[in-house]
Amino acid sequence: MPEVLESQIHARAPARGWRFNLVLQRLGLVAVILLVWWLLSLRVPHYVLPGPARVWDALTLISANGNLWQDLGITLGRVGTGFILATLVGLPLGIIFGANKRLGEFFEPIIPVMNTVSSAIWATFAIIWFGVSNATTVFVVFMTAMPLIITNVWQGTRTVNADFIELAHVLRMPARRVMMKIYLPTILPYFFSGARLAFGFGWRVSLVAETLGSSSGVGYRLRQAADLIQTDQVFAWTLTLVVMMAILEMGILRPLENYLFRWKKEAEGS
Amino acid sequence: MTAATAAVPAAASTESGAIAVRGVSKWFNTAEGTPLQVLDNINLTIAAQSVVAILGASGCGKSTLLNIISGIVTPERGEICINGITAGRFSEWRSVSYMFQEDRLLPWRTTIKNVEFALETGNMPRSERESRARDALKLVGLEAFVDAFPYQLSGGMRSRVALARSLVQEPCILLMDEPFSRLDALTRAQMHEELLQIQQLKKMTIVFVTHDVEEAVVLADRVVVMAPRPGRIRDIVEIALSRPRDATEPATARLAHDLKSLI
Repeated sequence: MPEVLESQIHARAPARGWRFNLVLQRLGLVAVILLVWWLLSLRVPHYVLPGPARVWDALTLISANGNLWQDLGITLGRVGTGFILATLVGLPLGIIFGANKRLGEFFEPIIPVMNTVSSAIWATFAIIWFGVSNATTVFVVFMTAMPLIITNVWQGTRTVNADFIELAHVLRMPARRVMMKIYLPTILPYFFSGARLAFGFGWRVSLVAETLGSSSGVGYRLRQAADLIQTDQVFAWTLTLVVMMAILEMGILRPLENYLFRWKKEAEGS
Repeated sequence: MTAATAAVPAAASTESGAIAVRGVSKWFNTAEGTPLQVLDNINLTIAAQSVVAILGASGCGKSTLLNIISGIVTPERGEICINGITAGRFSEWRSVSYMFQEDRLLPWRTTIKNVEFALETGNMPRSERESRARDALKLVGLEAFVDAFPYQLSGGMRSRVALARSLVQEPCILLMDEPFSRLDALTRAQMHEELLQIQQLKKMTIVFVTHDVEEAVVLADRVVVMAPRPGRIRDIVEIALSRPRDATEPATARLAHDLKSLI
């Protein structure tokens, strides 16, 4: 009777050797990039392209004087606030537009319009409305992230299986529980990919907003360094951002996604 | 019309699991606006703890009849009684269980969580839900797969999980809409055997819809043969063959042949 082997069910994690191999590959890639960077920097003046050693010095400098952690924290706080607000507004709106066809049809044109408005325009408006403050960056992140979350959640509601709703109906399950137990799990993968996109976008536009309308944060530091032609510091900030995004992606988002969506059949047969 | 209704035995059984269908007619709205009659004056009494097959070609309203018995569809005319109580006043819907043609397992839930789903309508404590789900899975022989996700199971196993989900509420009536039609013949025969064992053990009434004559003959005590357009009862055939039945035995095969000519 056991048509599936026990081992098949539990053998989900990739083999250890394969994972080790992947780490080696990634390290190799970093080494290649560093080498090319170093070779290029030998041929041009340091204010155009500073070498790895110079950037490392700048990094230790901004880290030692406290700017690094403080400004990174400020920017992250703004992105986080904007993102959380976008989720709080976007998730329910996406569900409502998806569940109510008439409302959805009525508001549908707004989403592409909002998506095409450049974040520089939102930043300009934000400076007019909020001046040089935290709210400016938060607003820009919010306006960029919210339509993305709405769109994805909306799409998710369209994939809710009517058969499952009927099953809940036969069981006389109250509407609120159907929402929690069928709608939400169906939407979750869509919400997740939307949130991921929104967070990435939010992060990028936050820098634009900070260069225009802020006196702190990574974006502000970038502009300051560029104005003073401290190219090594520009590089140092950029490097910090890249590393932080990589840590967020590989350390938090990817494992979380793997755990949440472990019920999905893997695309390629392992 | 009134004469036909009066002909039905007035005193329907009030025993747990008994079903009475009295003068039920049902119309559906069509795109053209003219209502289409799908059921015409259905009268049927189903004794407690019996197995009844509703047999017919597609489009004869047999699934609609099952949905009416389950209380999710209301007929325009006539009424349903369960345990001697009319459907409108009946509140113990939890003792009536419905198994769909598809397994309808939630892909994001493990086997045991899928079975527990049927108990999540009320306020049963988690530990009790879990132990009940475990018992139901033991009954269908899946205790080794409680933590598997649906995609990891074969068609037969998924069907067993769906059966366990229907059984976990300990129903006195089990309604099934072509439940095993998507399985291969061998697995289907195995499921039939297990279903009858469980029915004996749990003393349930089973009403199932099928277009498969052999399935009706192997499982049912009575076969309700329906005719289409509008859906009505053509004949009710008692099956007195001893159990377990084998579709290839001459007596069974002969009966199946006779039934086929009725459809």
